[in-house]
Amino acid sequence: MNIVVLVKQVPDTWAERKLNEGDKTLDRASVDVVMNEIDEYAVEEALRIKEAQGGEVTILTMGPERAVETIRKALSMGADKAVHLSDEALKGSDAVQTSYALGKVLETLEYDLVIVGSEATDSRMATMGALLSERLGQPQLTGARKVTAEGGTVTIERQTDDGYAVVEASTPAIISVMEKINEPRYPSFKGIMAAKSKPLTTLSVGDAGVDEGQVGLAAAPSQVVEFSNKPPRQAGQIVKDEGDGGTKIAEYLASQKFV
Amino acid sequence: MYFGLPDDALTLRDGLREVLTTACTPAVIRAAWDGDSSVALWKTLGSFGLPGLLASESTGGLGLDELSFVAALEEAGWHGVPGPLVETLVSTPVLDLPLDGSARIAVKRHPGPVPWACTSTHVLDTSNDLRLLDVTQAALTPVDTVDRARQLADVSGDGSAPSLSSEQLALLELRGTLGTAAFLLGLARRQVDLTVAYVKERKQFGVPIGTFQAVKHPLADAIVGTEFAWPAALRAAHSLATGDPQAALHVSMAKALASEASYRVSRVCLQAHGAMGYTVEYDLHLFAKRTWALAKDWGTAEQHRAIVAREIVRGRTAL
Repeated sequence: MNIVVLVKQVPDTWAERKLNEGDKTLDRASVDVVMNEIDEYAVEEALRIKEAQGGEVTILTMGPERAVETIRKALSMGADKAVHLSDEALKGSDAVQTSYALGKVLETLEYDLVIVGSEATDSRMATMGALLSERLGQPQLTGARKVTAEGGTVTIERQTDDGYAVVEASTPAIISVMEKINEPRYPSFKGIMAAKSKPLTTLSVGDAGVDEGQVGLAAAPSQVVEFSNKPPRQAGQIVKDEGDGGTKIAEYLASQKFV
Repeated sequence: MYFGLPDDALTLRDGLREVLTTACTPAVIRAAWDGDSSVALWKTLGSFGLPGLLASESTGGLGLDELSFVAALEEAGWHGVPGPLVETLVSTPVLDLPLDGSARIAVKRHPGPVPWACTSTHVLDTSNDLRLLDVTQAALTPVDTVDRARQLADVSGDGSAPSLSSEQLALLELRGTLGTAAFLLGLARRQVDLTVAYVKERKQFGVPIGTFQAVKHPLADAIVGTEFAWPAALRAAHSLATGDPQAALHVSMAKALASEASYRVSRVCLQAHGAMGYTVEYDLHLFAKRTWALAKDWGTAEQHRAIVAREIVRGRTAL
């Protein structure tokens, strides 16, 4: 079973994320970057299916040059090869445009499954699985907490608020996974060494057959019009206890309607 | 001479750093203080490949040399990895035990209580007749220990007799000494990191205490010591990796310097923290107490200085 895993490089989950003042895109340069956390689960799931059934796992990433670090991590976990779509023209693309560009690359790859994480921690759109499904005309199985793939059929347990639903589709199909699905492995030292020599193809917009006019900030269907940063935390109010501290606390709680 | 680390060693260190950042938090060390054997951490280290770092590739190890070994152990020291890591890494090349982290091998080098015995699976006794004890079959009597993660215990019981040549034993001793030196330098680096962060944050007279000469100068002096010790550890590693006949001398130099420098760091860091440093809820003591113990383990600075001095006096060695 051949699997493509979409992996995104995002600002460190715990870092403060900012937008650039100028073009209002995400500031990726000034922060530490990591593999999007849920994508690690997607990679892990693909590796488990591959280890059970054979086949190849390909990593597909769209992002700046620096995203190679994240691709290498996915390769060191055990993926076989990677495709990196990287072009200045893509900068500022929104989810719809990203799905168009990734879809173009996916059309050139042979796969039975595409596995994505349920959402990225930076944009929080959680739509890539659905968008690709529409673009490629392939079934989508979202929110998977368990995946079973056999022959030409793939079955997932789709997490719901009350329990789960069993959803089945024929391959090729697009699956989005959630963090309940597995426990991602750490790269082993041998994996890290092996990753250095695994094939990594870098594609420009032209290489991938992506129409430059349809991607990038200028052509983006959704635009950030305005934004403001979170106000800095205000200093708290300090009340000196002069024997009436308890009363003052009670008064404060009452004024906030806690008591 | 080039004294930096080769690419393999840097890759190993960076990969290990990523693993340990999430797998070996201070909470894991604190659990070890309460008697936990850190099985999950060791399983993670096993899947990374660390226990078999020096073991040959034909036995499933990584087949790396002492330069990678010191790079990995310095990093492990920064994270304060609980368990007999140095001892396990030097034992796996000569013992037929699993490399997946399920075997945690303590080493009894001299009569008396054995460090790590309570949280290990095996004890390799090199103190008298060579024996390998299965800890589940042995009687353990814990004794008072300063670094409770590294609990000491008297061990008694029968074990098998592994066949190790005297050369293998001598190499195990040298590697263990060097690995402990590297671990100490990692512990020192962690204590410096904690302290630098603290003295930048803690204010007195309206300014961070790190701006006071009485704080920053001793700290800077202490760091100079570890900066001098690290190249000595690299040299010793290089000598072991290349079979230099003076390797034993170089290892003694490294351990003497690392023991002194890291012990000094732990004292200065404790002082720079004021009373905070004595607080068990604060992390500094987890690394300081390990330093106190390891500075004296695998030979004290004085013992290793004596070895170096003896070599010089005999006039056999041009340093």
